[in-house]
Amino acid sequence: MNSNPNNSTLGKQIGLTCCPTCNKVTCAESACCSRCDTKLTIRDYASLQKSWALLITAAILLIPANLYPITTLTNQGKVTQDTIFSGIAHLVKTDMIPIAIILFTASILVPLLKIIGLTIYLTAISFKLPISKKNLMIGFHIIEWIGRWSMLDLFVISLTVAVVNMGQLLDAKPAPAATAFALVILLTQLAAKVIDTRLLWDRLESKNDSRTNT
Amino acid sequence: MASDALDNSVTLCRSCDLVIRKRALPTGVRALCPRCHTQLYDTPYCSINGMLALCITAIIFFFPANTYPVLELEFLGSMRTTTVLEGAIAVYQQGYWVVAIAVMTAAVIAPGILLVSILVQIVIIKYGLQHSFLRSVLKQALKLQGLLTQLTMLEIYVISFLVAAFNLADFATVSFGFGTFCFTMLFIMNLFLLREYDLEHMWSFLEQ
Ligand SMILES: [Zn+2]
Ligand SMILES: [Zn+2]
Repeated sequence: MNSNPNNSTLGKQIGLTCCPTCNKVTCAESACCSRCDTKLTIRDYASLQKSWALLITAAILLIPANLYPITTLTNQGKVTQDTIFSGIAHLVKTDMIPIAIILFTASILVPLLKIIGLTIYLTAISFKLPISKKNLMIGFHIIEWIGRWSMLDLFVISLTVAVVNMGQLLDAKPAPAATAFALVILLTQLAAKVIDTRLLWDRLESKNDSRTNT
Repeated sequence: MASDALDNSVTLCRSCDLVIRKRALPTGVRALCPRCHTQLYDTPYCSINGMLALCITAIIFFFPANTYPVLELEFLGSMRTTTVLEGAIAVYQQGYWVVAIAVMTAAVIAPGILLVSILVQIVIIKYGLQHSFLRSVLKQALKLQGLLTQLTMLEIYVISFLVAAFNLADFATVSFGFGTFCFTMLFIMNLFLLREYDLEHMWSFLEQ
């Protein structure tokens, strides 16, 4: 850390900015990146509003995704519809606990944690809450990494629908919650992607980071 | 200060904008931002020929992985199989095109484009850096790289074979097909290829 010019000099303060596409360091005055022609902005303030909009839409869609059935199963003429939750409960009843845990994590825990986590993160930036930036950033890295695992349920549904297709005897079909669930995954991924995380470090002042800059 | 910092000795953290002076790293070590722990840079060990070999192997596995059966289900004497592609088509035919597009993109389209794109990048770096048209193709491919790696979800699909099989074991006899083997190989090749791949190093070829 001693090799840094100063422990907390920001690129903004010495007129440098970093290209969002290729990470090249450029003078902040230039309009475009010299290496990949991406438009440069020192901070993207609009990213907060965009992220809020995507996140709120995702939170609303999470309700139909969990209330409506996600698969329709026909077994010997008897039709049963399963929601995400009842599907998992069924797995627990039939003693397939490891699979139940995997599906519970991917389909319920991850989307919920993602929405709650991003809400805390965005509120902290928008309303300058005194939460440690380091913890927020660690949380954000985790959210970015686990988010994609929610796709698991959609893959399982598509394989099941394709292979279980024997008319009245045994048949599986997707149900309305599948679309809502797919949109929740898409919107939460986008909401995390658009945030300009540098805004967090600009706006919040916490105890462990209050040494002022030159 | 801005001008003397532009000589590549200084980098900025892309998550928090902290100015960091670059230092030489021992192999296999990666530099993290001291403030927010975002990855900054690591020692480039990107070997163009090694990547070419991995990329071609992955492309060879790509076709059987998508067209051979991954799951086989036996129910009252009749046999049903499905491939990765048929899985996406089946949900599409039921009217769930949002789900179908998500599955197709994450398991077939993005991985396919990613492999072709890396192959094109390698070929241009090896043979075509003096042509201005090929340089602009390389630039576009490098700009797309981040998006394509994010959309590629082979590892999740591999786990979904297991989950689907255990899920269905309740109703019928399920077994894995030849496609499962190819898909797992495709995933492993892709994993090693992306471990070897270093975007910063690839960009540096364009600056020469
Ligand atoms: Zn750039
Ligand atoms: Zn940082």
